Amino acid sequence: MPRILHPEMPTATVDREAADAPAARRARPDLFAWVMGLAMPVWQALFFVAPLGFLVVMSFWVVENFRLVPGVSTVNWVELLSARYFWEIYLRTLWYGLLGAGLASVLAFPCAYMLAFHARRRWRWFAVFLLITPFFTSYLVRTYTWKVLLTDNGFINAALDLVGLGPFSMVNNLFGTMVGYLTLVLPLVVLLQLFSLANVDRNLVEAAHNLGCGALKTIFIVVIPAAKIGLILAGAFAFILAFGDYVSPTFLGGGRPPTLSILMVDVVKSGANWPQGAVVAVTMIVTLFVVCFAAIAWAYGGGGRKA
Amino acid sequence: MTGERAVRAALWLYVLAVFAFILAPIATSFVVSFNVDRFPTLPLGGFSLRWYEDMMGDPTVLPAFRNTIIAGVTVAVISTFLGFTAAYTDYRYRFFGKSVYLALALLPPTIPVIILGLAMLIFLSRVSLFGQLHSVIIAHVVICLPFAMALIRLRLSQMDPSLEAAAWNLGAGEWRTMRGVILPFTMPAILSALFITMAVSFDEYAIAWFVSGFSETLPVRILAMLQGRVSPRINAIGSIVFTISITLVILAQVILLLRLPSRGQTDDG
Amino acid sequence: MDSFLSLKGIEKRFGAYVAVHDINLDIAQGEFVAIMGPSGCGKTTTLRIIAGLEQPSAGEIRMRGEPVTNRKPWERDSPLVWQSLALFPFLSVRKNVEFGLKMRRVPAAERRRRAMHWLERLGIAEFAERDVSQLSGGQRQRVALARALVTEPEILLLDEPLSALDAHLVVRMQAELTRLHRELGITFLYVTHSQSEAFAMASRVVIMNRGAIEQVGPAKQVYRQPASRFVAEFVGTNNILGGRVERVADGHAVVATPVGPLRAALRPEQRPAAGDPVHYVVSADSITLSAGANGEADNVVEATMVSEQFVGSVVTVYAETAGGEEFRVQASQNELAGIDLVPGGALHLTWRAESAYLLPSG
Repeated sequence: MPRILHPEMPTATVDREAADAPAARRARPDLFAWVMGLAMPVWQALFFVAPLGFLVVMSFWVVENFRLVPGVSTVNWVELLSARYFWEIYLRTLWYGLLGAGLASVLAFPCAYMLAFHARRRWRWFAVFLLITPFFTSYLVRTYTWKVLLTDNGFINAALDLVGLGPFSMVNNLFGTMVGYLTLVLPLVVLLQLFSLANVDRNLVEAAHNLGCGALKTIFIVVIPAAKIGLILAGAFAFILAFGDYVSPTFLGGGRPPTLSILMVDVVKSGANWPQGAVVAVTMIVTLFVVCFAAIAWAYGGGGRKA
Repeated sequence: MTGERAVRAALWLYVLAVFAFILAPIATSFVVSFNVDRFPTLPLGGFSLRWYEDMMGDPTVLPAFRNTIIAGVTVAVISTFLGFTAAYTDYRYRFFGKSVYLALALLPPTIPVIILGLAMLIFLSRVSLFGQLHSVIIAHVVICLPFAMALIRLRLSQMDPSLEAAAWNLGAGEWRTMRGVILPFTMPAILSALFITMAVSFDEYAIAWFVSGFSETLPVRILAMLQGRVSPRINAIGSIVFTISITLVILAQVILLLRLPSRGQTDDG
Repeated sequence: MDSFLSLKGIEKRFGAYVAVHDINLDIAQGEFVAIMGPSGCGKTTTLRIIAGLEQPSAGEIRMRGEPVTNRKPWERDSPLVWQSLALFPFLSVRKNVEFGLKMRRVPAAERRRRAMHWLERLGIAEFAERDVSQLSGGQRQRVALARALVTEPEILLLDEPLSALDAHLVVRMQAELTRLHRELGITFLYVTHSQSEAFAMASRVVIMNRGAIEQVGPAKQVYRQPASRFVAEFVGTNNILGGRVERVADGHAVVATPVGPLRAALRPEQRPAAGDPVHYVVSADSITLSAGANGEADNVVEATMVSEQFVGSVVTVYAETAGGEEFRVQASQNELAGIDLVPGGALHLTWRAESAYLLPSG
């Protein structure tokens, strides 16, 4: 039976007792409370938790003669985890994800910093608006457009040709994949970094300057540690998105060598092997959990703790 | 000190470059969609509407577009409703297991969409909810409601905590207070949630790809096109979708701005 | 006397933390009662319990003899004027005021009439259709009052309503509240941490500390005769010295204190014995200052002046004895006119035994 919280705090003076007051006890359970409280969890339990749980279950099933056979078999796990090509793909995807997240974090930082500390309010709002626009466009279409721009005969190579440079091979390779990842995550990373940098207490920066710390040094010694949590979480989000992305490695990276997402889609769509696909998926989820925990530990823990 | 100014100027140029990178594909997409060449390059070909005509002529596009709209609207309504109840529950009640409750609402964005797509595919086909538009709707609500919840929760945290209690104190029961106080106050966030969840659903390709079966949504069609005959037809579709999305967002802002002065004269019942 | 509102044995616990305990209070119809105390003393919790926003862990509340302890907030008729005012930002001023009537299903025309009546009565009728955010602090305060009073309740609860106002407005609003109370004749229950507000408006004052009631009584009585050391320290400006009773004679006691033997008058019911530890209390405005010896006086203390403070026309002089005891003396500027107040200068503090009293120690 839920106890009801009245988060009432007098806004003017601090009344400690009201601020401490956690709960009012109700004599009987409330229809209102149950309706409000249960709507979301019921839906999520049915359509979020159950499917994911079932995914794990599915990884222990087998496909025989084109039919799904329920059971508890570790065949697919063993097959995949002992395959050399699987680990190559796994490590490659991990590397791609870290590279993508790292690039995005580093590339976004100077931009977020300038906007947070040196842009006037108006301009900052406008910048935020521009950063939100990509969320209303199709990621697929943007990827395709990059391909058009980056191909050997596309805009960019043609422009470089005019000044006698190139042509550079910018698609169907790692460069292309990274461009794709950045298209996916850069707006989000800039926004998150901007938000967390804007919340850094300006007094800290001024105090550092006052004590003789130069501008650049202050950024590393004061600003970044102060915004640590937001910066790390932004990077973690970027990693999650990049690690699981299918579109960029496929359409901008050429699809070869494959990433885990490509492997999974291949196994499921072409091979119709749901259990094997589930194994790949579960492996990815576990990896993401580990990375997320490490990121959170790093973000909220004391300095010096490594993943 | 000119050194410092030079550094500043360079950094602003950098900012411009980053924005150019982010916005280039959007702007270019528009340009390409009106360009006569199939594979655009410099110098640009002439202006042409052929890709838009091509898109309209493709028999798979309109039904997919219809599906996307229907799904989008339905997803918006359901996920905003669920997100609202979750946000309110988080705001008002304290109970055992609250962190699990919040995790349920906020975890979906942390799972890669293709994995969710596969999980939904497997699950929904086992419970015979697969391959229809409602499969897409169900799955999209799962990933959209975190946005709705976050937006509405943020708005609720801006509310004077005494407001709800003041209504109770003046004789309004819980449902009446919800209707008369909470909803009016959170309406801007609710509207934003509706539009954002619709936008998220609009562009979602991975889950739809896995579960929609023959009731394809537009992103699924685009994906198919990307794998087949590529042409600026894709950009044409993208431009239309973008225009619609932005129009919706602007409409939402306009509606909000118009509502404000007349707040006191809404109803006289 | 049948009390209008009665609290018996009210206790409220939040987990292990006891917010209020052993609250017993009887309030008569039409009284203006102030509940006062420092932050965290439980006064707001008590008010919220009365309004039904908290459920007491023990005890019962009766209004007009009927038990209301288990009634939900919307089933009670005890409108609250909130510290943050809690005006609905999405409603106009008039609609804010009409809210309580709407909940009682009063028809629209009648609602409007009554709301406008109250807005006129409080002098803000011209703002009726405006957005609440367009009003000043004082004007919003009146909207909150109108909203609470429009349903013609029998009791009005106020939770530090003036704490967000500028100082000059506070005085004006106090006068308004007093006037309203007189005109309406209903019960006002007013929670505050400010002495001046409580004593300016209330006829009866409840002093709370750490979740319990320290003293209840008419304002003047509580001010002049604190029942405990806490109240003596919290209310008014009192000088408190620890000491032991030396001897008792004639309705007076002589107490040995760090500044020497001092005389105090005893109340009829007080019978201390020699050797009893006591608090010796003399209020700052009972002490007379002079530069030199001033003829016969019951109590004389020599001190040097430390500093002085002006609040309007009242001066507070801080003085310290040779032994380091600090005394505060309050007097009007006129009374101190003849005295040369110089930091470090010698001062002569005198007061009558009748001005001092004893409080039990420990």
